[in-house]
Amino acid sequence: MTDAELDSLFEAARVSAPDPSAALLARIMDDAMAQAGARAVPDPAPAPQRRPGGSVRRRLLACVLAGLGGWPSMAGLATAGVVGIWIGYADPVGLDAVTTAMLGGGYGPADLAPSLDTFLQEG
Amino acid sequence: MDMALDASGEETDEDLLAAYGQGDARAARILTLRLTPRVLSFAARLLGDAAEAEDVAQEAMLRLWRMAPDWRTGEAKVSTWLFRVASNLCTDRLRRRRSQGLDSVPEPEDDTPGAEARLLTEARARALQEALDGLPERQRQAVILRHLEGLANPEIAEIMEISTEAVESLTARGKRALKAGLTARRGELGLHDD
Repeated sequence: MTDAELDSLFEAARVSAPDPSAALLARIMDDAMAQAGARAVPDPAPAPQRRPGGSVRRRLLACVLAGLGGWPSMAGLATAGVVGIWIGYADPVGLDAVTTAMLGGGYGPADLAPSLDTFLQEG
Repeated sequence: MDMALDASGEETDEDLLAAYGQGDARAARILTLRLTPRVLSFAARLLGDAAEAEDVAQEAMLRLWRMAPDWRTGEAKVSTWLFRVASNLCTDRLRRRRSQGLDSVPEPEDDTPGAEARLLTEARARALQEALDGLPERQRQAVILRHLEGLANPEIAEIMEISTEAVESLTARGKRALKAGLTARRGELGLHDD
């Protein structure tokens, strides 16, 4: 085989080069954006030195917080808690309509609260 | 200079990488379109497996994105760096393949009806790939970079981390072996009357 013949095979291989699929290009762009996004978020500040006293409690709180999804989740929980307390004290008039719509007429807000009556009865 | 697949041929890869390092999404898109075809075809020829080549191309590009903020202009060409990363990734895969005793999966045939010339081109490309697969890995790498990717010997030397003379030796031996392996197929490849 001559050099020219081998060159014609190289030429054939060059024109038959695989084109990247749209899916591959999309994955590579996703990676680029993910990396750029990761760089845009500043590194969390180093944790302050913990004093010996109270460190277990703090770690426990951190674990609970992490399990719940961090501070954003805590904000949601706090809001839900405040609204729940307000409903309990204020007993707003419109609530009956909401509970009726959601639960049907056979239930009232009181049915949602746990009752201790069973345990308080003498028997 | 290679033509880019985009409309911003005047911007160098290095400029674009620096821009991407500053968060420029447009630069990332241009680099993706410009570099992915090159790294994909290189990996496909080295591995002889399209799916594995896609994985290598994605991984090499991911490493490029990661190191973008630390890129030092003037130290190396982006494409040279990328080919070296892809080359190392392919070498790792070839070693793993050897240790697992796996053969590469043959490419599915393209059944699209076409002109005879197209079929002949495909047959030639396939025959060359089969011959390349039979070369020692370093020879294959040097031949692909020189004769299929069209790189100059000094750049290949940089990618393969060897001297230019060693590149010349590898490509010469590789070409000799290819010719020897393909001589018997001249007829079926339509070379007898070229």
